[in-house]
Amino acid sequence: MRRNLLLLAGAIVVLAAAIIGRMVFQPGPYSFAGGTQVELASYPDKTVTGVPSELATADPRSRADYVIRMADCEACHTAKGGKPFAGGRPFVLPFGTIYTPNITPDPETGIGKWTDAQFLDAVHKGIAPDGSRFYPAFPYASYTMLTDADVLAIKAYLFSLPPVKQPNKPNTFGFPFNQRWLMGIWSAFFNSDKRFRPVREQGPVWNRGAYLVEAAGHCGECHTPRNLMQALDQRSKFAGGVAEGWNAYNITGDRVSGIGGWSDAELASYLSTGHSQGRGGASGPMGEAVALSLSKLTRSDLAAIITYLKTVPAIRSDRSPQPAGPAPASPKLASIDNPVGKRVFEGSCAACHAWTGAGAIVEEARLTGVRAVNDPTAANVAAMILNGAGKPGTGRPYMPAFAASYSDTEIASVANYVTARFGAAKSDITPKEVARLRRQN
Amino acid sequence: MPEFTINGEKRDVDVPPDMPLLWMLRDLLGMTGTKFGCGIAQCGACTVHLDGVAVRSCQLPVGRVGNRAITTIEGVGNTPAGAKIQKAWIDLEVIQCGYCQPGQIMSAAALLTGNPAPDDADIDAAMAGNLCRCGTYVRIREGIKHAARS
Repeated sequence: MRRNLLLLAGAIVVLAAAIIGRMVFQPGPYSFAGGTQVELASYPDKTVTGVPSELATADPRSRADYVIRMADCEACHTAKGGKPFAGGRPFVLPFGTIYTPNITPDPETGIGKWTDAQFLDAVHKGIAPDGSRFYPAFPYASYTMLTDADVLAIKAYLFSLPPVKQPNKPNTFGFPFNQRWLMGIWSAFFNSDKRFRPVREQGPVWNRGAYLVEAAGHCGECHTPRNLMQALDQRSKFAGGVAEGWNAYNITGDRVSGIGGWSDAELASYLSTGHSQGRGGASGPMGEAVALSLSKLTRSDLAAIITYLKTVPAIRSDRSPQPAGPAPASPKLASIDNPVGKRVFEGSCAACHAWTGAGAIVEEARLTGVRAVNDPTAANVAAMILNGAGKPGTGRPYMPAFAASYSDTEIASVANYVTARFGAAKSDITPKEVARLRRQN
Repeated sequence: MPEFTINGEKRDVDVPPDMPLLWMLRDLLGMTGTKFGCGIAQCGACTVHLDGVAVRSCQLPVGRVGNRAITTIEGVGNTPAGAKIQKAWIDLEVIQCGYCQPGQIMSAAALLTGNPAPDDADIDAAMAGNLCRCGTYVRIREGIKHAARS
């Protein structure tokens, strides 16, 4: 009996160690490609980091402007309606709400007094000038791969901005998550603190793509799922994650769930304009990534990103099934018993989206074939209904926000109506989940 | 210069492609029968037809019109369904203040063209996006049924 107990305890310890070990010892972000990672200096091509070939002769100011777009600092460091880079944008996490800090050069409330070395430590190691630790909501585990020169280009850009006096808001984390020193342990496991090392066997375009996607673009921070320790699970690289309640979809090479079936032209259109015909549009956090970063990148950089993404190993995921085909033109569908959803749809949605889901006014309003509509969680459909997209009167596609027009029950009902009518499977999002989405955005 | 077919006539209009069709109709061509309501495709006052299909012109950039024929409230009376709807509107005195009615008539005419005998659910599905702050909805429903019978 006693011996059996000991064996059982031993087995539990071994199992726990294996699980934790698997969590802690993650493969590198691009080790899937194999090959030998070499020092940047020993890689023959010199265009892997820094600015792309189109800007080879640009002045330092234009270079800095480009590098900060590559890293997309503005999206997170700007509050809704706030001054750019002055921080204050909330991120509602399971442990509480965290607000991004002011990174304008104001000496008191911003980073005006920071030295180059302090700025490098912050971006590469997640360590503030006073020695305290940043939470990994700041993606330093990705930014650590940026070269010193690129990090300092970002600093030069920030220091060229007009200083904004705006004190940082404290986060609302409770114990033990308010213990910043714990992030030192997190970093020891999950921040490699290593600069980008090109893969010798891969060409300069692929390596440039890897640098843009992994180091600067930090795509995995949203598109790769996280483990219990909130570290990126690199074994499920790019299989889909979550950002502010929005599902960040699978961008592996899988033909059904990922982007394996997208042509290079479709990907380039999506990344540079936020829309690809028949594939849908970028909204929520991805809409911001397109507007503030990806749409500013050169053609050669977009091509590099696409080259790299297409080599990411395919993973199939439930949230991204094969999209359903066109929907019938008749509003009457006996198979959908959802009178509340139908009432909202016919009053507020049908005029733009059409009963076929093909889009009644512009192609950007197409619902069929779109990831979000075929996602059985309906999270992004509900988030889209709450938040809308774009601005009216710009000549660009626009959708109003319905957060103030409809109750949680109505929004849940119409989201479920939309997935049932136009998607691969009907969803069952609840008013409670809609309420949570409201708080996150 | 881009060319448009409006109520059967060819029109050359010097217009930037991102201008909403409603702007072109009202401000450049002086066709003020089509109304501006909300500007975000939520009220239906700006409804016109593109190849017979009801479309909110406030959200349609003219660059996306392509070769499709535009019909506005000024020309809908020349279509069979439009003539029936207009007659029904007069017979039943559907209109109160009238501001939303060009849009109501355009949506109703498009409905009748595709569905000569719509029931209440069909009318809801086609007309729910056209708001009327006078509350003429009951007479609109009757008007459509009256036109369908005529």
